[in-house]
Amino acid sequence: MTNAAAPQIEDIASEVEFPDDEHLTATGISNEKLGMWVYLASDILLFGGMISTYMIYRNRPGNIPGLAGNTHRISEYFDIPFTSMTSFILLMSSLTMVLSVNAIIRHDYARLRLWLSTTALLGALFLGGQAYEFQSFVSKDNMGFTANVGASAFYALTGLHGVHVAIGVIMLLVLLALSFGRTIKPEAVEVVGLYWHFVDIVWVVIFTIVYLIP
Amino acid sequence: MSSVTAQNDHAAVPADPGHTHGPTDMEYFRIFWVLFAITALEVSTYWWEDWFGDIGHKVAIPLLFIMMAIKFFLVAGYFMHLKFDAKLLSRTFYGAFAFSLILYLAALTSMNFWSDHGNAWFNNPTPSPPTTVLEAETAGG
Repeated sequence: MTNAAAPQIEDIASEVEFPDDEHLTATGISNEKLGMWVYLASDILLFGGMISTYMIYRNRPGNIPGLAGNTHRISEYFDIPFTSMTSFILLMSSLTMVLSVNAIIRHDYARLRLWLSTTALLGALFLGGQAYEFQSFVSKDNMGFTANVGASAFYALTGLHGVHVAIGVIMLLVLLALSFGRTIKPEAVEVVGLYWHFVDIVWVVIFTIVYLIP
Repeated sequence: MSSVTAQNDHAAVPADPGHTHGPTDMEYFRIFWVLFAITALEVSTYWWEDWFGDIGHKVAIPLLFIMMAIKFFLVAGYFMHLKFDAKLLSRTFYGAFAFSLILYLAALTSMNFWSDHGNAWFNNPTPSPPTTVLEAETAGG
């Protein structure tokens, strides 16, 4: 039933400036944002399973009956200084992402475009580094996806993370394109930012457990 | 009826008294430099065994887990805004994380991750075949 004296829902929605301002839902959180958090919570379980699988198989190369393969561990081929550099790149991209969110809150579209394009570029650099790393493993001793169970678990885990980064880069480029039309909502940047930081958090765990812990 | 009054819907929205707007650009830079320093320390542990011997290796592993946890909570709390957002979001995310941790620790335990009991063929190097049993069988036969 319409109440003529009451403000219309669109009027209130147009006044929402900050992405975290209260929303017209039962929880006070927008459906898009809550949906993204629920998705990220489910993604934790997915990555947890993949990390556990790698931990089980990491030191068991090529000696499972019926699954003979390369007797080297994939970790023997890790180049820690190189992977550290790509980790720093991803960490920097998290900073540029939060600067994008602050820029859209200030309606500073020039800075928004700068930080979004920088974040996408850093993400692409990370992916390039990952492709180079995979290629170097295959070129040394043919340590590919099917070399042994440890290698399969490694490529499945880091490859899945790489796919997440690639999807994040696509979302950032879409936001960048939308920013030129100035039709972009602050919350859209925040929600994509949540996804991007999650990808960074997952890498924090992968970098420690897979690469640094012997 | 397509028109919905905002008054009715707005009544369902609870106020979030704990809500504050997020950090400034400068504060984000400070958090970044803390994360940068922790990451640099993490990377340095790769050489600790060469520099400090066996003790360096032993100290590095628990320290790596602590540093990983600090980075995790700094990114989730500040960059993902959980520290400033509704408690529901923190509960959703950290709850899923805790559930995942318990689930996979149980799974790793059931897969004999902490020991090789019951899964001798998972050892590295490959376990030697049970020759003693074969010899006893040969002698008996």
